[in-house]
Amino acid sequence: MNDFTLIRDIERYLEGEMSEQERTAFEALRQSNPAVNEQVLMHQQLIQQLDQYGQRVAFQEKMDKIHASLAIDEVLPPSRTAPPTKIFTISRRLITNMAAAACIALITSLSTIALMQNANRQKTTAQYEDVRRVLNNIQRSQNALINDINSKKKAPANPGTYGGTGFAISNNGYVVTNYHVIAGADSIYIQNTKGEAFKAASVFEDISSDLAILKITDSTFKGQPLPYTLKPQHALRGEAVFTLGYPRDEIVYGEGYISAQTGFNGDSAAYQVSIPVNPGNSGAPLMDSKGDVVGIVTGKQTTSDGIAFAVKSAHLKRLLEEMPKDKLPKKEWNHKNRLGGLTRVDQVKKLEDFVYMVKVYN
Amino acid sequence: MKHNQNIERDRELLLGLTRNDDRALATIYTENYPSILRMVLQYNGSEDDAKDLFQEAMIILYEKAQKGEFDLYSKLKTFLYAVCRHLWLKKLQTGNWQLALPDELEEVLPAEDANTIAEHEEKDQQFRVMEKTMSTMGEPCKTILEDYYIRKLSMQDIAGKFGYTNSENAKNQKYKCLMRLKKLFFEQYKS
Repeated sequence: MNDFTLIRDIERYLEGEMSEQERTAFEALRQSNPAVNEQVLMHQQLIQQLDQYGQRVAFQEKMDKIHASLAIDEVLPPSRTAPPTKIFTISRRLITNMAAAACIALITSLSTIALMQNANRQKTTAQYEDVRRVLNNIQRSQNALINDINSKKKAPANPGTYGGTGFAISNNGYVVTNYHVIAGADSIYIQNTKGEAFKAASVFEDISSDLAILKITDSTFKGQPLPYTLKPQHALRGEAVFTLGYPRDEIVYGEGYISAQTGFNGDSAAYQVSIPVNPGNSGAPLMDSKGDVVGIVTGKQTTSDGIAFAVKSAHLKRLLEEMPKDKLPKKEWNHKNRLGGLTRVDQVKKLEDFVYMVKVYN
Repeated sequence: MKHNQNIERDRELLLGLTRNDDRALATIYTENYPSILRMVLQYNGSEDDAKDLFQEAMIILYEKAQKGEFDLYSKLKTFLYAVCRHLWLKKLQTGNWQLALPDELEEVLPAEDANTIAEHEEKDQQFRVMEKTMSTMGEPCKTILEDYYIRKLSMQDIAGKFGYTNSENAKNQKYKCLMRLKKLFFEQYKS
């Protein structure tokens, strides 16, 4: 066997071109002839080296191609040779000139800084005024929720200056409404869906959360056991809610959902609610699907549609706990929910009796 | 978080390099070469020095990636910097490089990576031998072998290119060339 046929056989063997028969024959030859076996191993090594060589040359070629396409000028520093240092003498005249120039430069820059700072300050005050104006707007919008009954030219037999909504929180005549509804009131009347009116007096006010608790003082008033509770947990974003209020003389139903866990300006004691709200809805209860009270409608944002705010029921609960116990013992406002399984129509029918129109005279 | 994302991206690039993806190679090259170049120039090296240094580091990275067992624990940039530092040191020691070693090349190469470099040097040695052998091969052997082992052409294509009547003839020519290469290579290799 000469060298050529041997190398051909090795190549065909390694490249897998041999038939099964040839293969077994060649392997037998490898076994019996150590010289052949050594040649095979050497050949394997050579091919491996060649492959690696090939890979690397190919890689190098690719890199050179990339290298050639690089814009080297961009990464080069602008000048690589340091400029020769020049020595020159500084004359007295030059010094005075330079000093004068430096002074002018200093004055200019200082005055520029002063001007800029002044301008900046003016700008911030302007922004601040802006914010305040927005706040005023909201204030106005909240006030606007108080229904101006006079302007509607109502029957003189039923005179009232402002109106809002309130709802019972106890069996014995305690009612919650908004503080802004009864603020500055001479006298307050509560009117139910049947048209019966009762005199009431404010017993507790919390200006910061805009809540007021009224007590019906009329002896003719007869309480009923409440079918709902004040929900102690926070309602979740997206939870469906509904409300009953008196934007007109008749009770009106509206529904929507909790849109955010904080109220106007990030007020954590309130929710942002997407629900139709009109002047007169102030103090209306916000109920969840079970009929439990989750909040009290207080106002809406005038600048955009569909944004209303409601104080959280948890906050109301906290207020009730703070109240003197002799006025309103806990058992009076802690009830069991009896609306859970009912349809919305039945829930509303039951709830109507506990939601009142609040009329304020001053 | 951002750091991790960077490593993820670098790992992607490395995978691309393993798959011989030209785009990954180009990305790594163009993103990392400028900083090495700037550094070499700062130490009064030439553009060619930078190119040699960086390309050698890239070859090490490529060989490591090809082995498939390379997992990236630092950023590619850091790895390349560290490798460049080692190569720089080596070149200083062997005396074919006159540039002082910059301090900014931190010693961040783990011991395992130092092995990588030793491994690379052995491979580099073999590569030089093969390079020299190939350069002494005459035509058409040199081109046939290059076409088959570097450019990965099929024997069919090579037969067509060199005007052989069929691929069997071309193969016979290749065997002859291999025989010659084997002889020359092992002469060099053993010396």
